[in-house]
Amino acid sequence: MSDYLNENPDVIDVDELPSRKEDSNELFENFGSKEAIERKKLLLKIDHSPKSQVLHDIELLDKLLLLNNTPDLISDTESLPSENDSDTNEFQIRGSEDSNITDEYADEPADPVDVQEIYDLTAHICDPEHPLTLGQLSIVNMPDIEVHDDGNPNHLAQIVIRITPTITHCSLATLIGLGIRVRLERALPPRFRITILVKKGTHNSEQQVNKQLNDKERVAAACENEQLLGVVSKMLQTCK
Amino acid sequence: MSEIDELVVSFIANVNINDDKTNEIAIKITNLIKHKKCKLVQIIVSLKDRFISEDEKERIKALKCLSSVLYNSEPDQLLKNDVSVIVNFYMSKITDNAVMLECFMGLNALMSMKYITIDETTKLLKFLQKDYQSKDYLAAVRNYPFEILLNVYNRWFTQLKDNKNFADLFIQTYISVASGEKDPRNLLISFQINKLIVTTFKVESFQFSQALFDILFSYFPITFKPPKDDPYRISNSDLKLALRSAISASDIFAQDAFSNLIDKLGATSPAIKNDTLLTLLACINKFGGKACIEFWLPMWTALKFEIMHGGDSSETYLDPLAENKSNDLITEGTTPQVSNLQSNYHLSLDILRALAYQLVELDESAFNKYVVHILDELKPNFEFTKDLRQSCNTLAAIGSANLITFNKVVDLALPLFLENTTEISKLKLMLLNLSYFLDSYIKVTKSLENDKEKLEDFIKNNHLNNSKDEILMILGMALTGNSKIEVTVRTLSVIQFTKMIKMEGYLTKEEMSLIIQYITETILTDNNKNIYCACLEGLKVISQTHEDLVYEVSLKELLNLLPNRFDELILYHKDDELIQVEVILKVILDFTTSRHVLIKESIVALSQKLTEVYITGDSEAVDYCFLILSTIYSLLDNNFAVLDENTVSEIKEQTEESLFSILKNNKGDNSILFDNQNLSLLSNILYFANVNFKRNQHQTELLRYTKLFVDTDKILENPSRLVLPYVKILSALDKDCKFDEASSVMERTVALIENSNKNAMTNLEKVGYMEMITILTNKWYNSNMESALIERYVNWDDQSTVNLEMIAWIGKGLIMKNSASSSIILSHFLELLNDKNIGIIVSKLFELFVVDINSMNKRKGITWTNNVKLLYKQKFFNDVFQNLVTSYKAPNLSLDIKCNYLTALSLILKHTPNKLVEQFMVDLLPMLLQALEMPNSEVRISALDTLKDTTEKFGLLITENIDTLIPLLLKLVVPGSKFNDVLVRLLSLQLLGLLATSVPLNYLKPYKEEVINGLLLTLSDKKRVVRKQCIDTRQIYFELGQVPFE
Repeated sequence: MSDYLNENPDVIDVDELPSRKEDSNELFENFGSKEAIERKKLLLKIDHSPKSQVLHDIELLDKLLLLNNTPDLISDTESLPSENDSDTNEFQIRGSEDSNITDEYADEPADPVDVQEIYDLTAHICDPEHPLTLGQLSIVNMPDIEVHDDGNPNHLAQIVIRITPTITHCSLATLIGLGIRVRLERALPPRFRITILVKKGTHNSEQQVNKQLNDKERVAAACENEQLLGVVSKMLQTCK
Repeated sequence: MSEIDELVVSFIANVNINDDKTNEIAIKITNLIKHKKCKLVQIIVSLKDRFISEDEKERIKALKCLSSVLYNSEPDQLLKNDVSVIVNFYMSKITDNAVMLECFMGLNALMSMKYITIDETTKLLKFLQKDYQSKDYLAAVRNYPFEILLNVYNRWFTQLKDNKNFADLFIQTYISVASGEKDPRNLLISFQINKLIVTTFKVESFQFSQALFDILFSYFPITFKPPKDDPYRISNSDLKLALRSAISASDIFAQDAFSNLIDKLGATSPAIKNDTLLTLLACINKFGGKACIEFWLPMWTALKFEIMHGGDSSETYLDPLAENKSNDLITEGTTPQVSNLQSNYHLSLDILRALAYQLVELDESAFNKYVVHILDELKPNFEFTKDLRQSCNTLAAIGSANLITFNKVVDLALPLFLENTTEISKLKLMLLNLSYFLDSYIKVTKSLENDKEKLEDFIKNNHLNNSKDEILMILGMALTGNSKIEVTVRTLSVIQFTKMIKMEGYLTKEEMSLIIQYITETILTDNNKNIYCACLEGLKVISQTHEDLVYEVSLKELLNLLPNRFDELILYHKDDELIQVEVILKVILDFTTSRHVLIKESIVALSQKLTEVYITGDSEAVDYCFLILSTIYSLLDNNFAVLDENTVSEIKEQTEESLFSILKNNKGDNSILFDNQNLSLLSNILYFANVNFKRNQHQTELLRYTKLFVDTDKILENPSRLVLPYVKILSALDKDCKFDEASSVMERTVALIENSNKNAMTNLEKVGYMEMITILTNKWYNSNMESALIERYVNWDDQSTVNLEMIAWIGKGLIMKNSASSSIILSHFLELLNDKNIGIIVSKLFELFVVDINSMNKRKGITWTNNVKLLYKQKFFNDVFQNLVTSYKAPNLSLDIKCNYLTALSLILKHTPNKLVEQFMVDLLPMLLQALEMPNSEVRISALDTLKDTTEKFGLLITENIDTLIPLLLKLVVPGSKFNDVLVRLLSLQLLGLLATSVPLNYLKPYKEEVINGLLLTLSDKKRVVRKQCIDTRQIYFELGQVPFE
């Protein structure tokens, strides 16, 4: 692939891709008392090193205090709500009838699958002809992702992604679509239905590409092709 | 037989059999001669028959004997007659090829004799020049003519200088001897003699310059790979350096050297090019400007290509043998040489600089021609913005030679690009270009470091001064006039600002202040990572040279910005810029690193700020106080090594009063005293203020604090939170202080703890009092008193949690000093693990023994605080581990009890360095695998943690157990199962991923499908972190064994 179809695409800096803001907090979600966690979050703002002695000391004090309380207090549940929870899912999940699931897990608040999550899964896929990611090239964009999910593990859910090829005659649109599909099918539970479309008016042969992208037989056949799978694997290497 | 005969016979017998012995005998004979006990003639007589023997070997042995004796003789030992006779003797033998080595050996010894005559020397030289065919002999033989030449040179140095014929003969002899030499050892001498010739007999050697140069240059570029067991230890670089210094020895080579080296620059191998460039550089510096005039143009033409098109090659590429060499050196135990390899690009620039220097030293007009020519060639690049980096680098390199070249280049080059522009791309290029000329300035000042006068002259008269205001303005505009999105331009501007401050004598104090102000403002208001790092680096670099200025302009400003009272954690700065308090504190923390004045001032100012906030603040201010306290604490902890006794003492004197006023003045709910974390931080700060305080004052301080806390605040009568600061101070003070109250304090502390149910002691207070028990046990109960201590306070009948805990804390104090008494407590605790009722409590207490409390840790250079033995954890682990394993394996144990053992073990492992655990791994691994099934998530987590380390280090051990491990892990990742909490699931997934890197593919491949399917359920985990890890791990298994596509 020495000749690039599109030599000079607009590139977004990796740091500037949309991302989930509160990621760093997840580190401590289930650990220690509420007070200590709040403090740790505060501390992270002034000191990012994980070896920080203050952080260590806060954890230590917390541990000693809990040790003193009653030996059994170190709980197995995650008592803290994370910030990005929405309440909408809780009811349905509690209503699920799976008997293997413990009460604690059932009571636990869930992080729903949201647009950002789908974006994070796909935006870091590497473009097959540029050493850049789909997010950097604006092939995948947040507003073009739809998630329809009620959170109930027994219900079907749907995801629609509209991709924007860098140029209207991009011959690699199908390959990019295949990459996204492989990524999502590996990453999401089977109850999710995935539809990948080319954004309206961004490709010359829109209909054809759309048909190819969502043809089960074709996708299955493509995945049996060792060489093609190799290319897709290479695209997925940059995912994080 | 006379003594001489005996010695001669035994010498002959030992030749080629025992060299040490022959040498020893030769010395003996020499001594006999020296002490006039025999004469040289006697030896010759006793060897006479052998000299003329038919047997070649006999002749060799005989000659060797004589030569060895001569070799060991003092230079003035032989008289004129002896010398003459023996020289003639050797000269008669020299036609006998078989004995050439021994002849040369003898002659070599004779050449340095005091009574050798010039005629005899000439005779030998003539022989070497005319009749000696070096290629007929082995390297060992060929070595002697070189040695002889060296000896002749040293012996006849003055005569050689005065007598042209003699010198000519000497040179001719050398040329004839050295031609065609190939042995590295001989080459080293050959190069050395060549260098001696051209430096000492410059005039005489002029007519031979071509021949002398050819002898050298035929080896260039020299490469040599030393064979293994090389007895002479000659390395490639030895040869290279010797050759280089010979080629560059004298300007009589200039003509030949320059034209040949320029030819060699066309070489394709970077290594050869590197050698050529280095040699060229050496030649230019040695030969001087006169020699360069003729050659700068072809040199520039050759170098231009290298500069414009040559990439930076890596070091090993430049010298393929370098790596080998350094390895050898290390294994041989000698100090490894630091490799000084420079890239060809930089070397080319250095050559241009050297040329500029030589030319300008010779004649300014010659230099002008040089620089104008190059500039004319580069000018179009500026017009078409092509190869700007290389062009500017070239010009800047030429400028960095001295004041004149610098001014010339600045005058010519700066107008080409220095102009203010609002076009971002142009501005970016301009900043990049400018940077090389700033570097050039720094390079000149560095080269003039030892010449104050010239340095001042440069600072005063350099022409960059004229553009200073313009540069400052452009940089200032670039930084402040552009929107925040223009990260590159703003970062570049900060970098150039920093560089300008590094330029000695360039900026005035006011200008520097302005720059520091710019940078400070930028770091506070910009949250881009690149800019933050550039600013931070800038502030750090400036602090190195202008610490006071940074303090005045930047740090003071930062500290002033911090609000005195608490409203919100956001401040409004001028121009509506938002600044968060956290950012200010982060900046302070980051840039003061290891500048002790800055650290001290920050700590003092923050302490004052804390007092003010505390007095005016309301309950909301607790978090603000927490941030300030954390900052102070981190400053003290991170910079512990740089804070010396004086600084710490100053800090203590200036902050203690205000810190204590906070402790004492507890009003309402905003009190620091009533916030656990804040109180703990404050107490630790007091620890740091005391630990490095003047040691001779510790005794006084101990009494003072004890009076304050025990007598005034009565912390031992009723539970008080003030025990925390007191215990931290106690742990900081010198353990050699006399502390009479120790046992009474202990007694009363224990009483307080025992009554904790009645006296409403809070958990935090309990932690404080418990720590007090550990500190007292550790510091003020010596080994004689330990058994009394245990008898008095360790009561196994009382199985209450509080009592057990207290015993554990006493145990901790003893264990840390490796006390023998600790085993009593330990063995008891191990037994209690088997107890149905309290086993579970006891198991958790095991963590206490090894948990690291910062104030009890050992610190470098601090020996007086606590009795902490360096390897106490190792001893503890050795003591406990086997016992735990054995007890665990005992038959008929209930699951609960087993779980106790595992809990204790995993809690200990959490705080034990992996290095200590390694040797126990074989026993440990089965237990860890079982721990994964224990109905306790803490145990599982700890086992997983240890397994993760194990997987990285003992891939083989894990591979053996892979068939147990994978199914277990797949059970642990299932969401919603009991005891599989978030961390268990997360760690299990991480461990599964790790397996792919440390377990051989053929072992793992059979599990590929099983893992991929086993992770399906976890894809719908409630927690996003877990899902994320699950996806990553699954992806690893999808790719397992897949043929990579290229």
